[in-house]
Amino acid sequence: MIVRRSPAPTAVVADDERLMRDQLVAQLKEAWPELVIAGEAANGREAVALVQGQEPDIVFLDIRMPEMDGIEAARALAGRVHVVFVTAYDQYAISAFDQGAVDYLLKPADPERVALTCERLRARIAKAPEPMDHLLAQLSERLGPAASAREYLRWVQASVGSNLRMIPTSDVLFFHAEDKYTRVQTPRFEALIRKPIKELIDELDPEEFWQIHRATVVRVDAIEQISRNLRGNQVLHLRGTDEKLEVSRSFNHLFRQM
Amino acid sequence: MTATPPRTSATPQSVGSAETAAAPPSPSGQALREIRKGVVAMWWGFFDWIAVVSWKKLLLVWLLALILGGILQHPVPVILLALASFIVKTVAGGKRRAEIAANEAVKRAEREQLERTVVEARMQALQAQIEPHFLFNTLASIDQLICTDPPRASKMQRTLIRYLRSAMPQIREGARPTLGQQVDLCSAYLEIMAVRMEARMEPVVRIPEGLKSAVFPSMMLQTLVENAIKHGLEPKAEGGRLEIVAEVGDGDLFVHVIDTGIGFTPKGEGGVGLTNVRERLRALYRDDAELIIAVPPGGGTRATIRVPYEVAGT
Repeated sequence: MIVRRSPAPTAVVADDERLMRDQLVAQLKEAWPELVIAGEAANGREAVALVQGQEPDIVFLDIRMPEMDGIEAARALAGRVHVVFVTAYDQYAISAFDQGAVDYLLKPADPERVALTCERLRARIAKAPEPMDHLLAQLSERLGPAASAREYLRWVQASVGSNLRMIPTSDVLFFHAEDKYTRVQTPRFEALIRKPIKELIDELDPEEFWQIHRATVVRVDAIEQISRNLRGNQVLHLRGTDEKLEVSRSFNHLFRQM
Repeated sequence: MTATPPRTSATPQSVGSAETAAAPPSPSGQALREIRKGVVAMWWGFFDWIAVVSWKKLLLVWLLALILGGILQHPVPVILLALASFIVKTVAGGKRRAEIAANEAVKRAEREQLERTVVEARMQALQAQIEPHFLFNTLASIDQLICTDPPRASKMQRTLIRYLRSAMPQIREGARPTLGQQVDLCSAYLEIMAVRMEARMEPVVRIPEGLKSAVFPSMMLQTLVENAIKHGLEPKAEGGRLEIVAEVGDGDLFVHVIDTGIGFTPKGEGGVGLTNVRERLRALYRDDAELIIAVPPGGGTRATIRVPYEVAGT
């Protein structure tokens, strides 16, 4: 822990928009004339570097910033500096943490609200910054519920001729393994993905895509009908293509009910 | 084809009329009314059938009916029936046929109208999506400019109003939206973001004058431009260039929105706006239009909307 007392309290202001930094700096000057602005940062990474270099008492972090968002920056700086989050739109209800270890400001803040934050900070900076692990964990949970839940591919990157394209998975009819690559078929064209089908399967939504063969994965909604071929294997007919797909015996159970 | 239709419709008719005459106040009056209704429906079914059936088929039916009548030793009713159907077909057939065709056309038009209404309602719901982060951040910026640069604050506020007007659901006007209008609507958003992002966003618009009158669906270019900034340039520390380019090729109009941002991420909610664009293109053009997302060799994202090239008002 760094214990350091400088004569005047110092702060770093981080926001990707200069107008917003100017606004906060002007308001702080008004509410707390002794506070020295040690530096301004335009993204999370800059903010972390600046705080590590300048060792200010306080950092004002905009939540949505490029490179590294405010929450990540706060995590990187936990225990080093007192944090105040700043945001224009309280999408994640940071206001719920009002009385906790972390303060927050909504842009544009009223002078009274800025004054209150400054008052709280005066009391807080006398003590060492509190660890915020628990709180930040809660916050990042709100920021991205998807961080815990699995996120599936909604687009696949594939080459069509010499061009790279993003194809929405809802356009895909099926994927078929071709050596180290995977062929993707849509109603309009076919394309090649630089990824073996085994890796691809792990990233696809199992509700959306079913594997029907060692080498084939089909989008369930594209299936039009199922018939049997002369060898008694199930064969899938898809909407939008004449190509028929054979279901291997080990995946027969998928279509028992149909 | 067999002779069944005229026979089935003719026989119950005679039976029905005989019964209605015979038993008026019986408790089975309800049932009789039902039978009568059925008979009337059958008669009109027969009538319609005569109206639309080809002469060739009708001749064949007469022939079969005559043979059947001969076998049953009752040729006279069959001849009468044939005569009646001949008169009906020559006198009323054409009119009835036209009526049936008109009815079908009305039904089809109603269904199409309904489909269009559903699509339009959905489109309006989609249009009314103004990103709260954008709105609040812009208002905060205006607040700052009011203190430091009031004329610029006023200008930005007016630009915001222009943006909000374009983003709100609009009552459809008769004229079809043109590319020129759509680019104008985007310019409000671009102006605001240029004030906020400063040097981090460099907008480049290259629309040939002649293509500004081309028909282009509403609120699609705006979605692509907002996406490019929100998901491409804003998350990139140094920002980058945003280009809007239009060209014509093979009878199609191509409108590209190219950014040099962080590139397209295949996971997450970023695709909602694009999914809406795709759905609306399908609703408007079926298979004649598409949205293509490409990854340029130098990084970033290129989103292209292809629609049939049409000049408004022709």
